Order: sequence, then structure tokens, then C-alpha cells
Amino acid sequence: MSNRSKSPSWILLHGAAVVAVTCSLFSGLRIATLDKPALITIAELLPQGEVHTVHFVSAILLSLAAAGYLISRIPYFRNLPGISTPKPINYHRLVTWGGVSLLITSLLSGWILFNGLGPLPWLRSIHFCSAIGLVFYIFMHGGVYLMQFGLRALPFILKPSLPKRQYLPLVSLSLGTFSLGFLLVGSWYLIHGYSHHPLAVAEISPNTIINIDGMASEPQWQQAQILTLRTDGGANFYKGRSDVQLKALQNGQEIFFHITWQDPNESLAHLPLKKTAEGWEILQSGYKIFDEKRHYEDKFAILLSENCSFAAAGTAHLGQSPLADKPANWHGKGYHYSTSEQVHDLWHWKAVRTNKMHLADDNFIGKPDKVRPGARRYTAGYQQDSKESGAYRMNWKWYSPTTITPKRLPAKTDQLAPYQYSLPHSQSPDWTISWFDYQPYSSSHDQFPLGTLMPSVLYTSNRFEGDRADVRARGIWRDGHWSLELVRKLDTGSSQDIPIVDGICMWVSAFDRAQIAHTRHSRAIQLSFDKTL
Amino acid sequence: MILRLLLVFALPFTLVAAAIVRAPQNPEPPEHYLVKVNMQGELLGAWEGPWSCVCDKRSGLLWEVKTDNEDIHDGRWTYSWFIDSEGVANNGDCYFELNRCDTEDLIRHTNRERLCQAGNWRLPTLSEINTIISKDNKPGSPTIESEYFPKTMRGDYWTSENKQKLSGIYRYLTVGGTAVNFIGGDRVTIPYRNAAFVRLVTSRSTACHKAPQ
Repeated sequence: MSNRSKSPSWILLHGAAVVAVTCSLFSGLRIATLDKPALITIAELLPQGEVHTVHFVSAILLSLAAAGYLISRIPYFRNLPGISTPKPINYHRLVTWGGVSLLITSLLSGWILFNGLGPLPWLRSIHFCSAIGLVFYIFMHGGVYLMQFGLRALPFILKPSLPKRQYLPLVSLSLGTFSLGFLLVGSWYLIHGYSHHPLAVAEISPNTIINIDGMASEPQWQQAQILTLRTDGGANFYKGRSDVQLKALQNGQEIFFHITWQDPNESLAHLPLKKTAEGWEILQSGYKIFDEKRHYEDKFAILLSENCSFAAAGTAHLGQSPLADKPANWHGKGYHYSTSEQVHDLWHWKAVRTNKMHLADDNFIGKPDKVRPGARRYTAGYQQDSKESGAYRMNWKWYSPTTITPKRLPAKTDQLAPYQYSLPHSQSPDWTISWFDYQPYSSSHDQFPLGTLMPSVLYTSNRFEGDRADVRARGIWRDGHWSLELVRKLDTGSSQDIPIVDGICMWVSAFDRAQIAHTRHSRAIQLSFDKTL
Repeated sequence: MILRLLLVFALPFTLVAAAIVRAPQNPEPPEHYLVKVNMQGELLGAWEGPWSCVCDKRSGLLWEVKTDNEDIHDGRWTYSWFIDSEGVANNGDCYFELNRCDTEDLIRHTNRERLCQAGNWRLPTLSEINTIISKDNKPGSPTIESEYFPKTMRGDYWTSENKQKLSGIYRYLTVGGTAVNFIGGDRVTIPYRNAAFVRLVTSRSTACHKAPQ
């Protein structure tokens, strides 16, 4: 180690980089657990809660440190002679340049991901690999220094050089820290407040009829502005990625959305039942831990909030137990909940369970719910709006990962004929069954051959009625895309909904035959009510 | 040097290894005063099923659990109030009687069946049914712990109280029975002829006495 002490600016920038890299790594690895389940094995070491903000703030700090370092090197580059004498190559120089390369890769890939540009799955892999590389770098750099010099290495990176007037380094260190802090807060304010994707909501006449049929054939849709968004991190799709296109219209009373997203298959076989030698079984791969990724319907979720914070209005809290006094979740991914009294609207369109009702399930995210001892699944702030009547029911008396007893069986054996194709290629148009076309289960009626498939979603007499039915929606799948139209009153008056006004924010997520493994995007979409068609 | 080696490399490695070995634990059900009981009268865990009755450890009462399988315990069936020739017979709707249904029909069938291996099933008193009212529920849910008492309707449930003075538009019918409304958990007095829901109870069950106190 050189005996030369470091300058105050070096100490400040190095210290900032150490803090930023540490925070980025821990928060980033927690975020990576969402689509890299293997990382759950080290989840005990990772932070829980609203880690996205930590990740983004540390990214800004690291970027500022990198920029500060480059600026501090300008005099050095200016003073270079025509042909500089290269410094001798040694272990630490090599490792440092390796670390610098990893930091540059990490920052570039991270900011591109944040902006939703480029081939996201590849970029996310590069970002993840550079993070893993940085873990090794920390050991090869800091670890080896500590090995060589022990605690004597610490003053070298913490204590500035001391010229004759000894207070000067401390003054410049303080000024530098203050400046860095000021830049950090300013950058965060700008990114947090002004990085949204604007979605123009065109105004149409109240007399214009928009059919909610998923076709979007009305001329007003052709004139509406398109927002294209890249989302990734979901299960299935194209390496977890799905590009989403959004359009919005409003007529002073209602708001209409037309949303299309990439999905290679129309997945309608929602937890189908299969007759086996042991009895009926639910086809499932992760449903027991509420993280089914194979035998599930396609879905789409829209979150609307007056809060435009990152991580879905600050509602995404990662980890198995982000709430110390509440139950852990089964999948280790986290919960959605509000940390204040603020309610966030959540519309959950389901290709089987609600599409035939021409509805999206009107839900909300509020404060964490109380613990209900009889409920195996605790959902924190994610709850359904109240309803007066109507529902779908699952066709089993009691869930089991092995065999179940169906609630009802077909009154006629040929009612199951459309479903007897090999999954997942079955293209039966309707994977719901009618309660009244089926009869209560009895072993004497259960004479179906082994291998028989039966849908599990039972429609009772009617669709949802009440608050839960506030969002009308209809989706159709065609040529590798879902096309979904939705409509809701701008203000329903319900305490479980939010009024939709100019400037509110929105997030979207697509699900490809997945229960919770949805795609996501970093920057909020902000609605802008300023255009008349 | 060995100490440094341990601190720099062995300690982080040990932490990672410990995190891998100490896999996160699955959630466990919390202790609760309600206990599920199956048709054979056996106690079940909070997240086990199916179950046919619920024992309330606070009161020692065993409660009927409603179903949606069109058996006699289906939660959609309604009954007129009729006990010991008092009230109005056969004015509710169900599938298990040739005629329409009244409270005595459900009590007779349930005792014959020995639901959860218990007898002496009866209508609850007002104070008994009030013990299972829970007002801190999910939006739009009935005022009861729906995770233990599924298929509960947001409507009136009969109690054993009869000969209650009717008022308002029902005054001309003079007396009726007391019911509890599971929309808000309120007491109401309604004519015997009204089709209301029923949840039976028994205070004589082996299962509930076995429930850990």
C-alpha cells in the first residue's frame, strides 16, 4: 500500500461508492428474488420491505460518485504529456479496473432498465451478472487489502491527507459531503417527480358509444395517442417480457382504456381437474404456495393511485415477512399494502374468472388487513371491493395438493368432451362451467374415465354486483396479443375506489398463466386529461 | 493473517451457508378460540378441512357450518320459524323436504344425522348467536369470521326467541321471532312466516369438550 494519504475528494467519492454499492447490492438482490427463486435461499441476508426506493437512491448516489470521479480526473487528463508513462500493472490495479468496468456496466444497464429501453430480459441478466461480479470484486479489492494490511487499511480510506493548515481537508470534506447530499436530494426529487410516462387521455363526446368488446373498432381509438411500455420480470411470456400498448379516452363521466400486450398463448386452462386412479387432482405446480406458474389463466392488472412513488405507489414490500407483526407469505416474494390511510385502486382482469362476466375484478390496496386465523393466505393490503352478490366458485370442496372432491359433476358426460385435449394446446373457448348444468358430487355419479379433464371455475347465477363490479372489461386474444377494453366511472363515490382525475398515476402488469408472477415497469404512467378528439 | 483470513472470507462464507441452511419457515396458524370439527367429531387444525362444525372454546358451544352442496346444511336454504307447533310451518325454501322448510325440519334432520357426532341441535338464543358476531370483517362480508363460517349470508338468522311483539308494518301479525342480521349484527324482530336463515347450535358435544382450552 502506498504511504500517500488520499485527498478529501477521493475519500468522499470512495466512501459514497462503498455505501451506494452496498445498498444497491443488498436491495438489488432482494428485487432479483422476484424472478430468480434460487436467491430465496439466501433471503435471510437480504433486506425486506420497500427496497425499490433504496435501490434507486443508491443508484443515484453511485452515479453522482462516478460523475464526481470523472470530473476530479479532468485536471489529470489535461496535464497528461503527449505520451504518458503507463503505471506498472499490479494485482490491485487490475482488480480496480475490473471493478470499474463492472460498475459502469451495472450503472448503464440499470439506467436503461429504469427507462424501459432495450431488450429487457438480456439487460436484466447483464445487470444481475454485473452485481454478482461486484460481490466478487469487493472481496478481491477490499478483502485483499484487509488481508494485506488489516485494520491499518482503514485510515488510508477514511483519513484525508494533512497539509500544514490541517483544518482545510476537513472543511473541503464537509463541503463535498454537503454538495453530494444536495445533489442526491435534488436528483431524487427530479427523478421521483418528473420521470413518469405520460398517457394522454383524449376527451370524447358523452354521446359517443364505445363498445367494451375488446375489439377497439371505434374510430376514436384510432386517433388516441399510444403509449408503448416495456414490462418484464414476469413468468413465461417471452423470457418474462411483454410489451404493452395503452390508449385512454374519457367523456367527462367515464374513462375508457384499450390495452394490448404480447402473450404467445391464450391460457384458459385455469387449475383444471384431472381424474386419476386415486381420485380427482388439481393440475398445479405452485398453487400450494400461491405462486402457480403453469396451470393458470392469463391476467392483467392496473393499479391507479394519487401517489406516483416508485414500486407501485410505494405499495410493493418485498420479502417473506415485510410486516413484523403479521404472517409471513408462502412464496417469499412480498406483499402489496399501503403504509398510510391512502387507498390505491387495483383492477384485476382475469381471462377465465371475470372475462365471461365482462368485468375486471375491482380490488384495492389499503392498509394491511388484520390477521384472520382461519385464512391460510394472508394478503396484507390487497383486498376485494365489497359486492352485493354474484361470484365464481372453485370446483373443490376443500383444497389439497393431492386429491380433492369436486363440488359438482356434469349432469351429462358429454359436457366434458370439449376439454379432453392435451394441455396446454387445448383451445376450448370457455373454461368456465355452469353451476346449474352440473349436479352435486356423488361417488355413484363419478364414473368418468381416468385422465378426464374438467374445468374448475364454476359460474353461479349471476356476475358480481356492487362495488366489485365497477369496472366493465372484455378481452380477446388474437395473433399473439391480448386486446382488452375497460371502462369505469371517473368517480364511483366508493371509499374503495379512487376518483380518476388529471395527473393520477397508473401501473400495469401482465400475467401469463401465472398467479402472482407478473411483469412490471419502474416508472409510473401519469394520466394527462388535456386533449380533445 | 489467519484471523484476517477468517474475518474477510470465512465469516461471509459462514453467513451465506447459515442463510442457506436456515431456510425461511412456512407460516403457521395462530392460536384461536374457534376450532374446526369434522363430520366424525374430530378436531382439525385452523388450516385443515373439510369441516362441518366449529367449536367456540369461549362458550363451549358447537356450531353448525353451512355448505353449498345442496345437502341439509346448504347456506342458501331458508326457513320459517316453527317449533313445537308455535310459529308458521313450511314457509322457507330448501331442496331436502317435499314440502317447504321450517326450523323444526332442519333441527330434526340434523339431530337424526348426528352432525359432528353430536345431538341436541337447536336454535341458538340471542345471547348465544351474539357470541359469534364479528364486526371487523372484509368489505361486504357478513359479520362473522367467514374463514370458519363459510357460506354465511348477509341476511337474518333465526334465534330461539319467540312470542316477540311485532311493530310497524308487521303489527297486525302481533308476535314473531327474534333474528340477528349478519349485515350489521343487529337484532330484528320478524314474523314467523318470514324465510330467514338458520345456524344451529348444541351445548352437548363431545368434540367441543375435547377442544384444548
